[in-house]
This record gives sequence, structure tokens and C-alpha cells, in this order.
Amino acid sequence: MLEAFQESIKDYSTPPEKALIRDLTAKINCYVSFLIECRPLSISMGNAIRFLKTRIVKLPLTLSESEAKATLLSDIDRFINEKIILADKVIVRHAVTKIRDGDVLLTYGSSSAVEMICLHAHDIGKQFRVVVVDSRPKLEGRLLLHRLVRKGITCTYTHINAVSYIMHEVNRVFLGASSVLSNGTVYSRVGTACVAMVAHQFHVPVLICCEAYKFYERVQLDSICSNELGDPDAISKVPGRKEINYLDDWANRENLQLLNLIYDATPSDYVSMIITDYGMIPPTSVPVIVREYRKEHLWI
Amino acid sequence: MPDTHALVNEFVIKLKKRKVEGSKATAKLTAELLRSVISQQRIPHTNQAVALIDAIKSVGEQLIAANPVERDGDKVTAAKVQGFMRTGGVGLWEEATGGREKEREDGDSFGELAVGNIVRRVLHIIREEDLSLTTAAIGGLSLSAVSDDEDDVEQDGHPVLSAAAVAAAARSTLRPPSLQTLLEDLPHSAAAPPTSSSGGDSDGKSKSADKSSRSRKLKHNVIEAVNELIQDIATCHEQIAEQAVEHIHQNEVILTLGSSITVIEFLCAAKEKKRSFRVFVAEGAPRYQGHVLAKELVARGLQTTVITDSAVFAMISRVNMVIVGAHAVMANGGIIAPVGLNMVALAAQRHAVPFVVLAGIHKLCPLYPHNPEVLLNELKSPSELLDFGEFSDCLDFGSGTGYPLLHVVNPAFDYVPPKLVSLFITDTGGHNASYMYRLIADYYSADDFVVQRRPS
Repeated sequence: MLEAFQESIKDYSTPPEKALIRDLTAKINCYVSFLIECRPLSISMGNAIRFLKTRIVKLPLTLSESEAKATLLSDIDRFINEKIILADKVIVRHAVTKIRDGDVLLTYGSSSAVEMICLHAHDIGKQFRVVVVDSRPKLEGRLLLHRLVRKGITCTYTHINAVSYIMHEVNRVFLGASSVLSNGTVYSRVGTACVAMVAHQFHVPVLICCEAYKFYERVQLDSICSNELGDPDAISKVPGRKEINYLDDWANRENLQLLNLIYDATPSDYVSMIITDYGMIPPTSVPVIVREYRKEHLWI
Repeated sequence: MPDTHALVNEFVIKLKKRKVEGSKATAKLTAELLRSVISQQRIPHTNQAVALIDAIKSVGEQLIAANPVERDGDKVTAAKVQGFMRTGGVGLWEEATGGREKEREDGDSFGELAVGNIVRRVLHIIREEDLSLTTAAIGGLSLSAVSDDEDDVEQDGHPVLSAAAVAAAARSTLRPPSLQTLLEDLPHSAAAPPTSSSGGDSDGKSKSADKSSRSRKLKHNVIEAVNELIQDIATCHEQIAEQAVEHIHQNEVILTLGSSITVIEFLCAAKEKKRSFRVFVAEGAPRYQGHVLAKELVARGLQTTVITDSAVFAMISRVNMVIVGAHAVMANGGIIAPVGLNMVALAAQRHAVPFVVLAGIHKLCPLYPHNPEVLLNELKSPSELLDFGEFSDCLDFGSGTGYPLLHVVNPAFDYVPPKLVSLFITDTGGHNASYMYRLIADYYSADDFVVQRRPS
């Protein structure tokens, strides 16, 4: 999304008799509403857009249009570099210290941070095994499974219902997050809360790998108050199993509804540690990071 | 009895090929089979009960040994397990599978919990009926005043033992085992042969007439009791459903996972009594029985919402009660349930939502679950989870390094410990999980826990 914004800024030219700042902000707002119509924004996208708007507003008025555009483009570049790419490298470096030889790691769905951790740990020669837990309807775990097995990592694949069965073998649980909220709640793909709960029951440490730009000031107690709904047809159709067609005409039945939640909120007491580019912190320190580092980075 | 052998073999084959679905159907068929075995069994005049018990035990052993886990279709699983052990996989796996091998040798493995239950019930019925007949016969004979010469002789023969026998019978196996019963066991069984030997002294005809009428009576009683058992199994749903109204109030939200006929009947009974509530059904991958349940509930007019299993934690904060069916109830109050229910039970505990289990009494198993995740579980084919075509090179043993990089785990059942279960609703009423062990004394005898004939 940020790269798309970069392209649009490059192509932007101020119409005559209008201030760059206000006009550009208005244009960005249009783009954002269009994006929202396609799909509700994720929290990290919201944070990035807020960063961009703040940068635009803070542009000194004396700059010419091309200089302003260049500044903005370099700001966005720096954001992407520092907050996303470098952050991922730091997270991987921290997380790999938590993997010992002979470990069995469990991960849920497909998180880019966790994938990088596994690949890097394998590269530096650690011996470990990964359990990939997957769930409907997105079945994202299969993609992660493909990539890990291609690299030669021994994997076990199972579905989320079997998590109680497999958890007694597991040493560590690595999960990704879409966002971490200020009360320590982890907001991520639906099913993460179940995995964290079962891990907690079996006394297995749960580590969340999340870049700091995904932290957010909002608080949330459960998954219902704020969530995203996906396509209900994804529930009634099971790819690859033609015989499961009991719900094919669900739209015609008035008593029947299909609910496809995309996200859920994992309470902070199930989380042992959050690995971010600022270090490894307990979930109770999240509001501290949000307060201290958000302010600092706004002033850069 | 070639007839019974044929019947038994037929049933064993059906069990092995998994043609019998569901514990209720299995229980019913087992009971009917045992009934035909009993009715066709020719029993000697002496020690009828012991002969019957032996016959049932031999059939029971065969049925219990028809363990579906050893089917050809699961060779992949078996090979994977061995492959894992060869590569020295995680120590726990070896332990677990080693344990599994050992348990299977004991002859009483998972697939047949329902069958084992019914076998034990029938054995208990036989013991009970024999006992009540013995006490009745001895009690009746010692009380009757006027009699013929033959009867006199019989009476004279019996009262010698009647004191000891009645005493022993009165304090018998129906009580929980104690040191006294264990020590009395010997004189009690010694009481039986003297009865027959003293009977042999008197007139043969009347004695044999009496004995055959007694044996016919025993058989008759046992068959009647087995018929009652079959009746109970068939009607357990109605009796459980009658209690629905006490538990479901207005405007409630109920969560369930997978599909169970008991649950359908329960919810529909509440709907009949004009309670309005809605149901969230978790689909229960990879069997997707939740879809079947949802379709059925909608057909009967209930407001239903289908959710994925991963959304259970998210939705449970808005749920008033979780109602599920179980595959088997173990002696400690824990249950063997479709996979995913342990997760639901944990979520329910976290949100203080009552977790209610509906189970007919025929599902109560007198065994204690040791390491139930492994020993009381079944691993199904990985093809339900992954398409073989995509990953065939990883699943193969012959590729490259000699052991597969990819293992797929697909268990069929979950164990839910008793502390997570709030209430059991059975055909005899509602019970706490900690009470279930008492019901075992009502339906099973302590001698029958291991259904194996002692080598004589």
C-alpha cells in the first residue's frame, strides 16, 4: 500500500491556486476511502496512513513542489525500510536466540515474520521441527508448509481441532500478529486465540512476533466488538471435497447464517512474550512502547 | 453352534470394515447379537451362570479384538509411525506409540468401547439374574411347609447350605468389593457344586425337571433383561430430550460442535416447548459434521449460525451454554469426544460458560483413561487434510534422505478431562462428572473389567 502511495505521489502535481498540503491530504483521503470500500483497513495500514498524513502536514511551507514530493517519497522509503524490513531482521535475530536444538515449534496460519524466523534458524544450522497448524476457510498454513518443506525443514501438518492432541510434543509456539493493542491483547487471524489458550493450558510459552508499527492505542476486550467479516460462501464450500455440500443453498434458508470471522483477540495472559524490533517485551509493556516511541518517531 | 459363529463373524467383519456407524448402532447390534448367542447357547444343568458367562466372554473377546485401528487403510499411519521411530523422532512419540503397541496386546483397545460396554452389561445382567434366582430358590424352598417326598429330600439337601448360601448371596457381588466379599467368594462358589451333588442323591426326574426349569428361567430372565437393555438403548434419546426444558431458557445462545443425534433431539425438544434460542454450530473439520447438523436444525426451524472451528474462542463470549454429545464416558468422568472439543471446553471454562455433555448410559465405560490422547484415539487418513498430489514427494519414504520431511496428523477423537465438564445429562438424569464412577457399580460387575477368559 505504501508503495502504491509512493507511485501516486510521484504522479501527483499540484493544481494551480491550491496548497500542496491540503490538496494532497484530500487526495490521499480519496484513495483511502476507495481502499476501505474494497476491504476494511487493517490496523497496521491505518497506522501507516496516519504516519503519511502527519508527514504531509509537517512539510515546511517553503518547499517547492518537487522538493516536497522528494521529501515525502524519501520519508516513505525510510518508513518501509526501518519499520518493516529492518524491523523484521531485528525480530528474526532476537527470536532465533529462543530456538534451541531439538526444539519443536508450533505456528499457526501463515505469518511472514515466523516464516523468516524458521528459515533463518534453519540456515544457521539449528535442528528443529515445525508443526504447522491450519484452519478453514483460508487454509493459509498450506502455503507456509510448502515454503518450509521446500527448504528442507521437517514439518508436521495438522488442523486446528487437533491442537490439543499435538500440543504435548511442542516446546515453543510462535505466532504472528496483525496488531497488538494497548491492553496487551493480540489482534490476529481467527484461531490464534484458540492456539494460545491450548498452549497456555499445556504450559508451552507463546511468543508473538510483531513489528512495532503495528502497535495501536485502542483497547479491546473480545473479538466481537470490532472485527471483519469475510465471505460466507467460503464456509459452505470445501475445496477438494465435493461430497460436503450440505449447505449449498444456504442463502435460501432464512434461519441459516454463515459467519466467517477474519480476526480474533487473544487475551494478554495467554502471551508469554512479544518480540518486536524494540526488543523482547512482555505484553504489559505495549502501552509504554506506544507512548514513548510513537511520540519520538513523530518528531523525526 | 455354527449359527452363532457365523453371526459373530459377520458382526466382527462389519466392525472391522467400519460399516457400523455411531456408538448407539454399535451398542444395539452388539446387544442383539449377544441375545441370540444366549438364546442359542445350550447350557448344562449345573453352573449355568458360569457357562453363560464363559460363552459371552469368548464372544466378547472376539468382538473387542476387532479393532478398526488395524485396518489396511491406515497403513500409511502405521508406516509413518514406524518411520518416525526409526529416525529417532521426538522421544514422546516413541513412548506414545510404544505404549500403544503394548495396550493393543491387552486386547481391549479403543474402537470397541461401546461393544465392550455392552458385553460387560450383559455379563453383569447374567450375574444379577443368577443371583436373584439363587436367593429366590433357596429362600422359597426353605419357606415352603408342605411338600412331597422328593421335595423333602431336596429341601433337606438345601437347608444344609441355605444358611451359608443365603448369607453369602445376600452379601454378594452387587456390593462394592471389600475384603469380606473377596474372602467369601470361595465359599460361595463352593456352595454351588454341593447343591448339585445333594440334588443328585434325590429323585433324578424331579431334580432335573427343577434344574431345567431353573436353567430355562435363568435364560429367560437374562433374555428379558437384555431386551430391556436394547429398549433402553433405543429410547435413550427421548429420555435425555425430556430434560431439555429444564436447562434451556428463553433467548439463550447455545454452542455445539460436530453433529450428534442426541443433541438434535435435545434442542428440538426444547423448541417444541416454545423456548426461543439460537444455535452456533462449529463445523468440525475435517469431517464437517457441523454442516449436517446445521442443515438438520434449520429444517426443524431453529435459528442456526455456522462458524469455523477457529472462531470458537471469538464467539464463546456471547454464548450461554455449550451442549455436546460424547463418544464415550470414562470411569473418572472424562469424555472421549470428537476432535476439537477439548479446545471448546477450555474456552468455555475461561469464559465461565457451562459445558454440558449429553450421553446415554450405554456410553459409560468402566475403564480408566490412561494416556487417552494416544491410547484411546484413532488417527485417520491425511488425505482429508492435504491433497496427496501436491505434497507426494515430501510424504514419500524413498526420497533423498530416506525419511519424509512431512507428517500429517489427523486424530479423530479428543479427551476432555472431568474438571472441564459442568454436567452430564444421561437417561437417568443429570449428574456431576465426579459422580459417574458410582453409576459403574449399578451397571457393571468388578469381575468383568477385563473381558478375557482366564486360561483354565
